[in-house]
Amino acid sequence: MFVKELKLQNYRNYESLDVNFSPAINVFLGENAQGKTNLLEAMYFLALTRSHRTSNDKDLIKWGSEFARISGTVIKDNSSRLKLDLVISKSGKKAKLNNLEQRKLSSYIGNLNVVLFSPEDLSIVKGNPGIRRKFIDMEFGQMSAQYLKTMSQFRSVLKQRNAYLKKLQHHQAKDMIYLDVLSDQFSAYCAEVVFSRLQFLQKLQTHIEKIHANITEDNEKLKIVYNTFFSTDGKSLENIYDTFKDNFKKNYQREIQRGVTLFGPHRDDIKFLVNEKNVQDFGSQGQQRSVALSLKLAEVELIKDQVGDYPILLLDDVLSELDHKRQTHLLSSIKKGIQTFITTTSIDDVDPELVKDPNILNITNGKVQQEEI
Amino acid sequence: MKYPEPISKLIDSYMMLPGIGRKTATRMAFFTLGMEKDQVQEFADNLISAKTDLKSCKICGNITTEEICPICSDKSRDQSTILVVEQAKDIMSLDDMNGYNGLYHVLGGVLSPVDGIGPEDLNIKLLLNRLKQNQAVKELIIATNATPEGEATAQYLAKLVKPAGIKVTRLAHGLAVGSDIEYADEMTLKSAVLGRREI
Repeated sequence: MFVKELKLQNYRNYESLDVNFSPAINVFLGENAQGKTNLLEAMYFLALTRSHRTSNDKDLIKWGSEFARISGTVIKDNSSRLKLDLVISKSGKKAKLNNLEQRKLSSYIGNLNVVLFSPEDLSIVKGNPGIRRKFIDMEFGQMSAQYLKTMSQFRSVLKQRNAYLKKLQHHQAKDMIYLDVLSDQFSAYCAEVVFSRLQFLQKLQTHIEKIHANITEDNEKLKIVYNTFFSTDGKSLENIYDTFKDNFKKNYQREIQRGVTLFGPHRDDIKFLVNEKNVQDFGSQGQQRSVALSLKLAEVELIKDQVGDYPILLLDDVLSELDHKRQTHLLSSIKKGIQTFITTTSIDDVDPELVKDPNILNITNGKVQQEEI
Repeated sequence: MKYPEPISKLIDSYMMLPGIGRKTATRMAFFTLGMEKDQVQEFADNLISAKTDLKSCKICGNITTEEICPICSDKSRDQSTILVVEQAKDIMSLDDMNGYNGLYHVLGGVLSPVDGIGPEDLNIKLLLNRLKQNQAVKELIIATNATPEGEATAQYLAKLVKPAGIKVTRLAHGLAVGSDIEYADEMTLKSAVLGRREI
């Protein structure tokens, strides 16, 4: 798939923009603070209805405007056209597919697949578990609408259970039968979420192992492990459900005391083991960077497996950060004919051997100019 | 420009109704101005009467003008099943289908700790007393909505009622009648498969 056309209205520093892209490589060239990353963010947002930079959608609306609009035309592999439309206003966002409004964002997300590479990717390896959970939920979400729906119901059931535990904690309620009911119901959603995460991770594992071995010239074996309060090895959906159910029963008192749900996918984590050692604790900065890169490259392949088409790649200022070897690996993906967007302040950062005939777009202060070749 | 007070107040009142924004409310208010006086009087009377003349049935919680609603006082109905619904308006939909001739019970909502609604805020005690007093009831059909909250409420009721030896059933979820499998979402299909029946 590729993005043929992008239109912006009142988005960040773009008052109005209509730009066409090459199905191969597009380079956004410009000084700092001119709006290069804003363009990548717009495409990321168009795909996932979330920004990688801010959790507050209002930040995306140009100062002094009431709403922002992002629209894009996507060409899928069977050459069918899809028009995506997002309007962000102070009261929320509206999504349209081919001019048809989508009541639920879960039916909108996944029509355009993107993988973003940015210097912050390192925090997926180095940062706190919350960042990794957000990463897997976002990425699995764009591959499976079912996963998004399950997650949204999971969250609402978690909220109900937490609210009830708070009541029990403050002695405003005492009905334990209702806690049983909420716990059983919550266990079912926990099992569903954990089980789908395990399935996705297993598929990701086959790709990441190969890619990482390649990057490290067979020196490192990378393994992703799902980390929860019990061992998930070889467990079926029913096994996981029963484990959660029993565990909640045993921990009612603790949970009531704290007034919050202490177990579940919202507390789980993933670990990256390099040669059996946790790279978060024992890895060098360079190793961690390689793991982050392998993870993103594996995601590209996983999306291809799951949705049948390569995602578009967004490279935010990463080329200057990567050494030549890693750059080669990253850019060799592009050779597969994947549409790629690169932001850079200097075209010299981009190895001309690796990037052939790029479509160069000069960005100055919210204006885009196509370079004449 | 500001509207004169009587009409701007009327607009505000219309806006209290669900799904009505300022534009629609303004249109409705101006329409009201164009209506005959006795029509408007009737409209206002109906509003007041709906609020003052309606009570909830002492037995099932349905809305009624009497102490006991017509359904509960109708002895020709099957006294051995009670169908539990969230809202009184659900009874209208269910009774119009002509496929059920038993009794009803209105919960008045679903359990939702987030909104501060616990078992004591619903007509659950009324239901349990009713089951205790009326030994003829053999089956409880729970027809709460297929939302996580509706599901939890159904499970909760089942846990309370089942020990008394009453059969508890839940409305089937799955494919809508006349619909294509092709257009059903995965969750609907899943519950349709889980709730399959032998033919």
